[in-house]
Amino acid sequence: MLFKDQLYFVRENMKKNKMRIFMTVLATAMGTAFLIVLASVAFGLHDTLIKDVLEQETVNQVQIYGKDDPNSQGITDKDIDYFQSLEHVRAVRKQSYLRQSPLVSLNGYETSPHTVAVDMGALETGGTPLEDGRYATSSDEVVVGYHFYEQLLEKDTDPEDMYDENGERTEDTLYQGELIGETIDLTVSRLIDETDTEEKTYQLTIVGVTAEPANEWQQDQSLYTTFDFYQSISEYTGTPGGEMYFQEEPMDLTFYYDEVTIQSNNLENVQALTDTINDQGYYGYSVASELKQINMLFTIAKAGLIFIGAIAVIIASIGIFNTMTMAVTERAPDIGIMKAIGASPKTIKQIFLLESSIIGIMGATIGTLVSYLISFLVNIGLPMILEATFEDQLPEGFQFSSIPWTLVLIAYVICLLVTLISGSRPAKKATKIDVLSALRREL
Amino acid sequence: MIEVKQLSHQFELGKKDKKTVIPVLQDVSFSVTKGEIVTLVGRSGSGKSTLLHLIGGFLPRQSGAITINGTDVSDFTEAQFAEFRLGTIGFIFQNFQLIQSMTAYQNVELPLILQGVSETARKIQALETLEKVGLKGFEHHYPSELSGGQQQRVSVARALVLNPLIILADEPTGSLDSETEEDLLHLIKELNESLDITFLIITHDEEVAKIGHRSLMMHDGALIDQEVK
Ligand SMILES: Nc1ncnc2c1ncn2[C@@H]1O[C@H](COP(=O)(O)OP(=O)(O)O)[C@@H](O)[C@H]1O
Ligand SMILES: [Mg+2]
Repeated sequence: MLFKDQLYFVRENMKKNKMRIFMTVLATAMGTAFLIVLASVAFGLHDTLIKDVLEQETVNQVQIYGKDDPNSQGITDKDIDYFQSLEHVRAVRKQSYLRQSPLVSLNGYETSPHTVAVDMGALETGGTPLEDGRYATSSDEVVVGYHFYEQLLEKDTDPEDMYDENGERTEDTLYQGELIGETIDLTVSRLIDETDTEEKTYQLTIVGVTAEPANEWQQDQSLYTTFDFYQSISEYTGTPGGEMYFQEEPMDLTFYYDEVTIQSNNLENVQALTDTINDQGYYGYSVASELKQINMLFTIAKAGLIFIGAIAVIIASIGIFNTMTMAVTERAPDIGIMKAIGASPKTIKQIFLLESSIIGIMGATIGTLVSYLISFLVNIGLPMILEATFEDQLPEGFQFSSIPWTLVLIAYVICLLVTLISGSRPAKKATKIDVLSALRREL
Repeated sequence: MIEVKQLSHQFELGKKDKKTVIPVLQDVSFSVTKGEIVTLVGRSGSGKSTLLHLIGGFLPRQSGAITINGTDVSDFTEAQFAEFRLGTIGFIFQNFQLIQSMTAYQNVELPLILQGVSETARKIQALETLEKVGLKGFEHHYPSELSGGQQQRVSVARALVLNPLIILADEPTGSLDSETEEDLLHLIKELNESLDITFLIITHDEEVAKIGHRSLMMHDGALIDQEVK
């Protein structure tokens, strides 16, 4: 029997009981839609999270926190050279924090900024672009952070006036003058004995301002200097990084980097790079390794939700079993005639299995279409409801539900499998119909 | 064409503990040669239908042997028998056994569909066969819209459409009035002569028995007399 003819038979049979078929398809569609929509939440949240992680500049980075070596105090130039020699490394970013907040004054305004020594040459490739000006080229030049000027306050102004009652920066106390090309006085202190201090003032020129950080919540108020300037402060205070600490004996002033970030040339190589570095005894961390855990977690969540959803499909399959059993009973006389003519049991079975799979496919298709609609509405509606109730903006690009083609495929396979299993008993029953009993209309 | 050797059959009735055995056929042996019309007469309940059902493979054989067209079908499985039947044996039943939801044309087309014949070839063969049995113009009638004689012609056409070697008929005229009965017997005779189809026809009607080249008499499950006309 040709497949085309089997399809024709099935269609004719289904036409005879449209209402029953409709209800069965409906139940299957509901089961499938439930499965897809349920699992789509895990897919949607996963996508959102992954996108969020991938959008971070840090995703290509390996951060080095230190070294597993009792003789070592931190990362030195020798370690940096090793990192730079590795494959897939695009840039190595390094910085050291000054261990005191020096007093900076500019045209009568003052602040005590967080001061960081950076590799000026590597700033651009390292992901710190400038808003204005240029990077420092000598030790008496500095770059200031985008929000540096907000911290400047006119001498003798009450710091309480900096912010209004809403916590907003007050306009009239803001520094309005130029930054680039201006000279600042940077005053550093040191302890000359247990209690007494002494100060030294350096004159430095602002040559650049960093660009606004990508995220709104990030503030860049730092003052960026060169390593040479950092070292000269260490020499003045006699302590590493200008720390306010007094000791009779001269201290070891070996230069250590506080923060080293390795940039990989490619996201795919980050994990391998992290592994290589950690194998060498460094403490390296990359977002990529976190990604692995996120993926693992969501894979479990997806599997769990698909499993729960599959139960709905299985419940719907009871309807298919019922429909097919009734169809077989109703058509027993016709099946008997067909068998008497010479229809093989295989053909009879195929026809009924085909009918149940068509019900399954129709249900899965309708269910999928409905799922896309529900998913679409949820993605539009839910943020609106959440924003209305909690008056809180959801992050941009937030996706509550997402239906990738793989989920559709999984739903189809589950649906088809379940319908085939539930249709197989009735189909088997059809093949077992006794010709003579059927012809006598006994069944 | 058909060779039956020492065929016996019995039905078992009742549950395990109170089983009654009804012997229906005892040691039946006979043969039918190609192109013959053989009638099988005997009283109701004598086992004629059972014999036909065994030859057609509708009942599992218990003992004895059946050979059809040189093929020993004694140990055929249900599936094997179905395939064999489709191309070799046509059936005509007393109450026609047409599928009520199908037109005359669709009923005749059914064996061709099962055989896997293409749609265009099917159309030609089915229409040709319907014309042969005198049902031209009734193709799209449903069984309920046809007279008994016409319905039986549809079932003859259905038995005929795959060019079988043998047609087995169980009381083919049992539901017909005497006039249509005559027409049908005439048709059978004609098909036998023009297509050389072998017929084995069950009847308890003396008139019907007359169209056979030969008649077998069945009594209480045994052939008692083989009379040649
Ligand atoms: N399925 C069956 N179960 C039990 N007894 C049966 C069955 N079929 C037929 N018989 C019995 O077998 C005998 C022969 O029946 P059958 O072959 O139909 O006779 P005929 O066709 O000559 O009238 C009858 O006594 C009938 O009651
Ligand atoms: Mg009978």
